[in-house]
Amino acid sequence: MGGLWLSGWWCISLGGWRWSRAGASTGAVEKVEAFLRPAWSGRRRLGTWTRLTRGPADPPRRPKSTSRFQRAQDEDWRRRNRTVLTYVAAAAVGMLGASYAAVPLYRLYCQTTGLGGSAVAGHASDQIENMIPVKDRIIKVTFNADVHASLQWNFRPQQTEIYVVPGETALAFYKAKNPTDKPVIGISTYNVVPFEAGQYFNKIQCFCFEEQRLNPQEEVDMPVFFYIDPEFAEDPRMVNVDLITLSYTFFEAKEGHKLPVPGYN
Amino acid sequence: MSTAMNFGTKSFQPRPPDKGSFPLDHFGECKNFKEKFMKCLRDNNFENALCRNESKQYLECRMERQLMAPEPLEKLGFRDLMDGKSEAKDNF
Repeated sequence: MGGLWLSGWWCISLGGWRWSRAGASTGAVEKVEAFLRPAWSGRRRLGTWTRLTRGPADPPRRPKSTSRFQRAQDEDWRRRNRTVLTYVAAAAVGMLGASYAAVPLYRLYCQTTGLGGSAVAGHASDQIENMIPVKDRIIKVTFNADVHASLQWNFRPQQTEIYVVPGETALAFYKAKNPTDKPVIGISTYNVVPFEAGQYFNKIQCFCFEEQRLNPQEEVDMPVFFYIDPEFAEDPRMVNVDLITLSYTFFEAKEGHKLPVPGYN
Repeated sequence: MSTAMNFGTKSFQPRPPDKGSFPLDHFGECKNFKEKFMKCLRDNNFENALCRNESKQYLECRMERQLMAPEPLEKLGFRDLMDGKSEAKDNF
């Protein structure tokens, strides 16, 4: 009895609720909107607001002004920008190419001008045979001898100076003594001052760049056979050069120590 | 040789000798010729042109004693001396 009565109440309440709901949703709101609609036409609807940013679905932006003059000017600027960009790109590529080309070009330049005393072509032995001494140009060649601190040799030139002319072969002597009780191996290099004259100073035979061994208490004469190229007299840069200094330096030859031997470098 | 970092300045590049290196005269075999040459230089105020005969004799001594690669002296710049010698021989 109680159960039946309860389910009865449920049915009545549900039904009432369904009816009221369905009726109210359609009826009341429609009436309100119908009242509001004529007065609000053309204006913003309730619940909307302006957006400050452009969304993805917005139509593409049109230029501010589409006048013919403006368009022509834009076109002109774009064209100018393109040419400037092309020039700049070409310059950049040109710089890159120049930096690669600089190495062989510099080598060529050094060889032709002889700057840095680099090898000048054409020193053959038949040149020595046929060269004619330039007798009116006397050059004083002074000699200098140096020894590295770790080498205990007594190394000195046997003449302080010698007067030669270009095109004439000359002989000069150095003397070296080993005062220690052990055999010592030395290796030497040379230098010519002034540097520009160095390219004309040719050694036929000397004692440099090869290991020379001196036994204990031994003293030897070391000759240098050289000549000055006859073209020295024709070089305008050498007009004021009357003194050339030849300087030898001896180092101790150690295992694994590599003296910078001249070659092309 | 310059080892400093002066990149712009000219630096000296040593070159190897044309005919290589003289072997050392350990036994002083040509010492007499050398002494004659040095004496000639000192007497002539260190003028090379006047002492070329002595230098030629020194090099000939070296060639004889295997202290130098033998080579015709004209190739060593002594052609004028050779011509004078051959003329003197002809005159005899």
